[in-house]
Amino acid sequence: MSQGCESYRVAESKRSEDFGWQISRRGLLATLSLGALLGARSALGQVVLSEDAKDHQGDVIVNVFLRGGMDGLSAVVPYAEDAYHRARPNLRLRSPKDASQGAAYQALDLDGFFGLNPAMAALLPLFKEGKMSFVHAAGSGDQTRSHFEAMNAMERGMYQMRGGVQTGWIARHLASTPRRTETPLRAVALSATMPDSLRGASHATAMESLTDFRLADPEMRDMLVSLYGSGQDVMTQAGRETLDVLQKLSKIDVKLDPKKYPANSLGQALQQVAVLIRSNVGLEVASLEMGGWDTHVAQGTVNGWLPSYLKDLAAALAAFEADMGPDMKRVTVIVQTEFGRRVEENTGLGTDHGRASTMFLMGGSVKGGRVFAEWPGLEKNQLDEVGDLRVTTDYRDVLADALTKRAPGSNPTAVFPDWTAKKQGFFA
Amino acid sequence: MKLTRRKMLGLTAVAAGTLAGCAPVARRLAADLPSDVSLPTGDVEPTLRLVNRVSFGPTPGELARVKAMGRDAYLEEQLNPEGDEPISLLLQLQRLDAYRMDAAEMEELPEELILSQLQQGTLLRAAYSPHQLRERMVEFWSDHFNIYGRKGSAAFRKGTDDTEVIRKNALGNFHDLLAASAHSPAMLAYLDNQVNVKGVANENYARELMELHTLGVHGGYTQHDVQQVARCFTGWGIENRFLHAKGKFVFDPEKHDDGPKEVLGHSIGAGGGEADGDLVLKILANHPNTAKFVCAKLCRRFLGHTDDATVAKMADVFLANRGEIKPVLKFIFSEENLSKSQPSQKRPFDFVVSALRATGAQSDCGKPLQEHLEKMGQAVYQWPMPDGYPVKPEAWTGTLLARWNFVAALSKGEIKGTVVDLPKIEKRSQEFAQAILGKADVRHIETASQKPDLASVATACLASPDFQWR
Repeated sequence: MSQGCESYRVAESKRSEDFGWQISRRGLLATLSLGALLGARSALGQVVLSEDAKDHQGDVIVNVFLRGGMDGLSAVVPYAEDAYHRARPNLRLRSPKDASQGAAYQALDLDGFFGLNPAMAALLPLFKEGKMSFVHAAGSGDQTRSHFEAMNAMERGMYQMRGGVQTGWIARHLASTPRRTETPLRAVALSATMPDSLRGASHATAMESLTDFRLADPEMRDMLVSLYGSGQDVMTQAGRETLDVLQKLSKIDVKLDPKKYPANSLGQALQQVAVLIRSNVGLEVASLEMGGWDTHVAQGTVNGWLPSYLKDLAAALAAFEADMGPDMKRVTVIVQTEFGRRVEENTGLGTDHGRASTMFLMGGSVKGGRVFAEWPGLEKNQLDEVGDLRVTTDYRDVLADALTKRAPGSNPTAVFPDWTAKKQGFFA
Repeated sequence: MKLTRRKMLGLTAVAAGTLAGCAPVARRLAADLPSDVSLPTGDVEPTLRLVNRVSFGPTPGELARVKAMGRDAYLEEQLNPEGDEPISLLLQLQRLDAYRMDAAEMEELPEELILSQLQQGTLLRAAYSPHQLRERMVEFWSDHFNIYGRKGSAAFRKGTDDTEVIRKNALGNFHDLLAASAHSPAMLAYLDNQVNVKGVANENYARELMELHTLGVHGGYTQHDVQQVARCFTGWGIENRFLHAKGKFVFDPEKHDDGPKEVLGHSIGAGGGEADGDLVLKILANHPNTAKFVCAKLCRRFLGHTDDATVAKMADVFLANRGEIKPVLKFIFSEENLSKSQPSQKRPFDFVVSALRATGAQSDCGKPLQEHLEKMGQAVYQWPMPDGYPVKPEAWTGTLLARWNFVAALSKGEIKGTVVDLPKIEKRSQEFAQAILGKADVRHIETASQKPDLASVATACLASPDFQWR
C-alpha cells in the first residue's frame, strides 16, 4: 500500500461513488445557492424560513469532545498500511486476516483498508447498518500540539487559534439561527463547567445531572428572581437563565433507567440528553465531553488504558442509539478530539501529541457505513513535521456540513470565521 | 478603565475581521453576540477591595482590624507570614494522614479517603489560616503546577507536593519553586517524566513545562525544543528499588540520553547527565517570556485583567528581583494597581471559602461541605488537564444553582460539620447584611430577602450576584 505523497489516495469504500466531496467548485456553488434559497435573509439579517424548512425543525446536534487527544490510529486502524505496523511494533492491532496473535488482536474490518478497534465492537453493527461513519485524517491546523491551543481553536470553530474570536462555534451557530421554540434550553453542556464551544451563548446552560437540577429550597425562587432581575454582568445574566431552565425542567418527567446505559460518565450524560430530546424542551445542541485520552504512557493494545476508554465510548454511543430508536432520525452525533497522536510509539509504549485524528458521525442523516478519508499515508515522507498523520479534512467541513444539512437557517460562514467549504457530503 | 466585555468584543471582532480580510463576517459575529456579557460595575470601598484581593475575603471584624493597622502594615503582615498556624487549625490538620504519612505507607489507605483529606486540608487552611495571601498563592500555584489527584498514585503524593513544593515556595523564588516541582514525585508521575527514557523520549513533561509552567504557548519554543528538552530529562524518575529511599526523586544515568542537545539556542554538551535537566530549568526560569507569562497570570488572578502595560511592569519587577515573588505581589497590591483593578469572579472554591469566612462559620471542611464544592465542579486537585481549573468567568456560569443550594444549606445550618452562629455577627438585619457584603448599600438585599430573619438575609447576601465577584 505505498503511494506517492503528491497524489493522495482516497480510501476504498464500498460506495466510493457517493463520496460527494471531491466535487468541483461549480458543484459547490450550486449547493451553496440551494442553501441560500432555503434560508433567505431579510434586509435586517433576520432569517426567514421557507415553508419547506419549517417542516423540518432541524436535528438536535450532539457534540462529544474527547479531551486529551484521542489516538485515531488505534480507534480506526489503517491496517493495510505497512508503515502502521512498522511504526507501532508493540501497540499495533493486526489485520482482520492476520490471526497470528489471536482474534483479540485483529481489527474488525470496515472497508478493506481500515479496521475498527475490537474494543469498539459495539459500534460495528451500526456501521454495517449504515447508521454511522468515520472521518479519518481529520483535524485542525493547530501546529503547537498544545491541548489547550488545539481545543481552543476547535471550540471557537477556527482552523488555528488566534486572538479576536472570543465566542464558541456553538454560540455563534445559535446566534445565527432563529430560535425554533421559545425556550431557555437551546443548548446544554453536560458538565459542571461551560465548554468554550458555548462561550457567549444565550439560552445555554451547563449541568451535570437533570435529577439534581432543582432548588433545594423552592421558596428561594422569589428571592433569586429579585436578586437577579436587573444586573447585566455575566453571572447575573447566567442567573436569570438558570431560573428559566429550572422552571422549564420542573415541567418534565425525568425517568432514568440506569440499566439502559453503561455506568461511565459519558453514558450517563447521553442518557440525560436522550431525556431532554424526548421531552421536547427545545434543545438544539448538546455538548458533552469525555476526558482521559492523553495516552503518553502504556496506552495498551487490547487491554489497558486506551482500549478501556474506547470500550466505554463505544458502549455509551451504542446505548444512546438504541435508546433513541426511531428518534435518531432527528439527531446528529459528532464525536471529535483536539488532535491525534504521533504515528511512532514512544519508549514508554505510549504516543505523544500528534495532528490528525478520527471523527465519529452518527444519526439519521449520516451517510453511514463508510470511512471518509483522503488518506495522506504513513510513510516518513508523507507525515507532518515530526512524524504525525497529516490533516487532510478540516474538521469544520464536517461540522459545517451538519449545520447546512441538519440545522435549517444556520449560516456556516458566520459560525466559522475563516472557513471555506472544501469537502462535504458527510450528511444527507 | 472599566472596559465592558461588550466593548472588548466589539474591538476584537473588528481586529479579527481585519486580520482575516473578511469584515462582513466580523460584523456579523459582533452583531450576533449577546450584548449583555459584561463585568459588574460600581465602586468598591478601598479597604474591602484590598482585603478581598489579598485574602479569601473578610471575616467578621477583619475590615475593622485592617483599617486600624493601615494598609502598609497589613501587606507586610501578609507578605511575611510568621509563626505557625493557630492551634485550633493545627489540631485539625494533624489528623490528616494525607499530609503526615509518606506515599508508600499511604497506599494501604483508600484513594477516596486521601483525596477527601487533601480537600479538607486545603479548605481548612484557606478558610482559617491567618496567612491568607500565602493561601491564595497556594491556590494560584496549585493551578499553575496542577496535579490530577486521580491519576495513578497522585493522591498519595500530592500531600508532600503541597507541603514541600507549593506552600514552601508560595511566596519564595520562582526558580526554586520550578525546580522543586520538577523533582516532585507527584509531578514526575503526573506528567510521565518518570517513564521518560532514552530512545523515543516522552514529551509530556517537556511540553507542559514550557507551555504551562514557564514560557507560555507562544513563548518562543518549537517542537524541536520540546523534543530536546524531553531528552534532557530522560532518566529522571521515582526511586522504586528495595532498600532505597522509596518514592523519592532519583536520577538513573542508565536511562539518560547523554548526547549533546540544543535548547532554545543554548548548546548543552554531551555527558551532562542529571545537570542537563537542571540547566533547562535555569534557562526557563530566567527567560523573559517566563516572567511575562507568569506575571500575566498573576495579574489576571489578582487584578482581574491582563493589561499589557501593567504586565510589562510586573515582568520587569520579576526579572529585576530574579524571580522573587514577594516584590511582584507588592507591586500588584499598590494603591494605583488596585484602584484600576477589574472585578474578578470567585470560582467555586473561592466562593465557598469566602462564604465560610463572611459568616464566621466553624467548619471541619469534611465530606458534607466538600460535596457542595464538588457539585460546583471544583473538587480540589481533581482537574485532569495540566492547565489547572479555568479562570474565565464564562466557564463557571453553569454553577449558580449549586452555589444557591450551598448558601441556603449554610445559612440554615444544614451542612453537617459546619456551624454558623449568625446572631454573633450582628442581630439587626441591615447591619448584618452590611457586615457580610462589606458595603453600606444593601437595599437590594432587604428587598429580596422578604423575611427579615438572619438566615434569610444571609442567604440573600451570599446568593446575590455581588458575592460572586471580588
